[in-house]
Amino acid sequence: MNSFVSRFASTGHDVELRKAREAFGDEDESLEMWGSQAGFGPLSKGVPSFSVPAVPDPSAFLRLHTDDHADPSCRIKIKHGTTTLAFRFRGGVIVAVDSRATAGSYIASGTVKKVIEINPYLLGTMAGGAADCQYWETYLGIQCRLHELRNRERISVSAASKYLSNLVYSYKGMGLSMGTMICGWDKTGPAVFYVDSDGTRLKGDVFSVGSGSTFAYGVLDQGYHWDLTDEEAQELGRRSIYAAGHRDAYSGNTINLYHVKEDGWKFIGNYDVSEMHYEGPAGVGYGYEIRTAGKSSANPPPEPESQTAQT
Amino acid sequence: MSIMEYNGGSVIAMVGKNCVAIASDLRLGVQSLGIASNFQKIFPVTDRIFVGLPGLATDVTTLHEQFRYRVNMYTIKEEREIEPETFAALVSSTLYERRFGPYFIEPVIAGMQRTPSGSYKPFIAATDLIGCLNFAKDFVVAGTASDKLFGVAEGLWEEDLGPEDLFETISQTMLNAVDRDTNSGWGVVVHLLTKDKVITRTLKGRMD
Amino acid sequence: MNSVYSGPGFDFANTARNSFLESRGLPLPKATSTGTTIVGCLFKDGIVLGADTRATTGPIVADKNCEKIHFIADNIRCCGAGTAADTEFSTALIASNIEMHALSTGRKPRVVTAMTMLKQMLFRYQGNIGAALVLGGVDADGPHLFTIHPHGSTDKLPYVTMGSGSLAAMAVFESGWKQNMTREEALDLVTAAVSAGIFNDLGSGSNVDACVITASHTEMLRNFVKPNERVQKERSYKFARGTTAWKKEDIRDLIITEDITVIREGEAMDIS
Repeated sequence: MNSFVSRFASTGHDVELRKAREAFGDEDESLEMWGSQAGFGPLSKGVPSFSVPAVPDPSAFLRLHTDDHADPSCRIKIKHGTTTLAFRFRGGVIVAVDSRATAGSYIASGTVKKVIEINPYLLGTMAGGAADCQYWETYLGIQCRLHELRNRERISVSAASKYLSNLVYSYKGMGLSMGTMICGWDKTGPAVFYVDSDGTRLKGDVFSVGSGSTFAYGVLDQGYHWDLTDEEAQELGRRSIYAAGHRDAYSGNTINLYHVKEDGWKFIGNYDVSEMHYEGPAGVGYGYEIRTAGKSSANPPPEPESQTAQT
Repeated sequence: MSIMEYNGGSVIAMVGKNCVAIASDLRLGVQSLGIASNFQKIFPVTDRIFVGLPGLATDVTTLHEQFRYRVNMYTIKEEREIEPETFAALVSSTLYERRFGPYFIEPVIAGMQRTPSGSYKPFIAATDLIGCLNFAKDFVVAGTASDKLFGVAEGLWEEDLGPEDLFETISQTMLNAVDRDTNSGWGVVVHLLTKDKVITRTLKGRMD
Repeated sequence: MNSVYSGPGFDFANTARNSFLESRGLPLPKATSTGTTIVGCLFKDGIVLGADTRATTGPIVADKNCEKIHFIADNIRCCGAGTAADTEFSTALIASNIEMHALSTGRKPRVVTAMTMLKQMLFRYQGNIGAALVLGGVDADGPHLFTIHPHGSTDKLPYVTMGSGSLAAMAVFESGWKQNMTREEALDLVTAAVSAGIFNDLGSGSNVDACVITASHTEMLRNFVKPNERVQKERSYKFARGTTAWKKEDIRDLIITEDITVIREGEAMDIS
């Protein structure tokens, strides 16, 4: 009886399964095998398909339960707030991000990895829905590998980012939330593409995404030029995220810095925003009062005995 | 976002053995944007009373002036300094006067109360924004990080802490609570009151 | 602000600003409320009032041991539920007016007088003052027990409950109340009723306060039962001195000290 109902029903989980099986022509596949490929079971073979709520307007349904501006008491709170940046220069691509995750005014985590290592040559950044970015950029990694196997050469950054943007565009209006930069080095040299869940895809030299992006752009634009040395470029990325982490309430905790060169990306380091404020990467703090102490009567030098805790 | 979270800020007060401490963060923000890291939220009322005013920044200034005026009037009329308990009642009735158009402030009061024998005993109190007094014998909290402060303080506070131990406890409570709140932080200031001394320390807090 | 004490009554100066802010999507914050179980019960010689001691702001317990049985007169007490500030101030105001009334009439105040003053005040504010009260006392006419609702309606009953825990408490009263109880029976019943609220209603909690009013005297039993005592912590969470790094210190000494230096004595006066 149940199988009869599920065979002819037009909504529900079973139907999604049936549709997918029909599309891929693998009737014999058991439910267990779907899970065995880490959720990518149907996706590694063709068009991704997801269960959507059995309501007339799925995106409105999602919005009803997730939009915390309209209804702060809603059950599902999607984490927002971030600062990410990427820029290309003579020496490659610098990718720098913060590590804060917030749910409302609560800082849910200070150790989030917002750079997604798609493969040794491609990096993606994470802003908006953490799960959306993680899932689809991992999925992008699968497609990039398949491209390599099929064509015996690495996918270009342009093609990879286009793959992602076409994919998210097919879900437009369904509630996906991502603002990401796909960064890498291909035959054309260093490349940065901005892709978001609206379907926008932009090629450019300098991008910053997230609630703290305005602060990051401020520092970035002031210090950016093509002929930066590697050290200067890394410092610019770090300094820009610090500025955002300092001023923006929804960004901060630590900075993750990556550098993509011809031979792939390299993780440069993890820097605490507060440490950068007081000590900086090389003993000189980024903080305003640290830089201005003793420079004017309004900023008298610190008293000598007051540096450490005493009892 | 409620009006209380518009500018951010939190205050906590704790009782110790023959001492009290009151601490606040130093951030002034406009929603997510940090504006200043030296915004005073705790004000001296007398030598032995401090009042913390977390909430809407415009009302912090207004209420501080209002309290200053009323305390001065009291001092002139009574020819003596106001006691913490009396000041708490003054705060309470000032706020309740505006029951139907409140100031967006949740005051926290900390002081040393003179006893009939001439010694001093610690006093803390807090009110909600329409002046409902809460006399606690351990700690009181207010502001955007109040939920977090409640949790940390409940875990760390213990009875009969001496001044220096109380300083460590209130400082760690404040620092760790505001590190989990987006709208508070950017430095912390602690005032420690004993019967004969007022110690004010500015802490090294996270700046993000 | 034209003057500091600009006359009695509420000040509505901020309402325009606040409703503007509210219209801009910044909702008014929550005030402390007493979720509350408050009860009252008649017995042979008088009245027993009971209350829990929890005050809340939304889901947070703001005060674990607050006082909800308010003083009205020596022979009248009033339990308050609802907006905490409102119960606090309306009972204080009526207590003060009752005192004035007693002074001017030269008689012991009656419970109905307090009840009428409270209901007239609450009715005037059309429910905007969120006080739900249980008023009890003993006067020249004997014991009286009332409930007063925020809009000003009143009831006179032999046993009453109010607040979010009123259903739990009333269940106890309905099954256990009988006429002409002794003081001990009544006190036990009230304790059981408030405990039902404390344990079954999330808005109520902590301890039981009780108050026994008889013709001869009033006995306030603050923290009569403490069924929710916090257990002793297993260890101390004291921090080592110097854990907290600080940047600046200012010490203000409240004791004025002065050093008196004696500058060499002068020559002795010539008294010859």
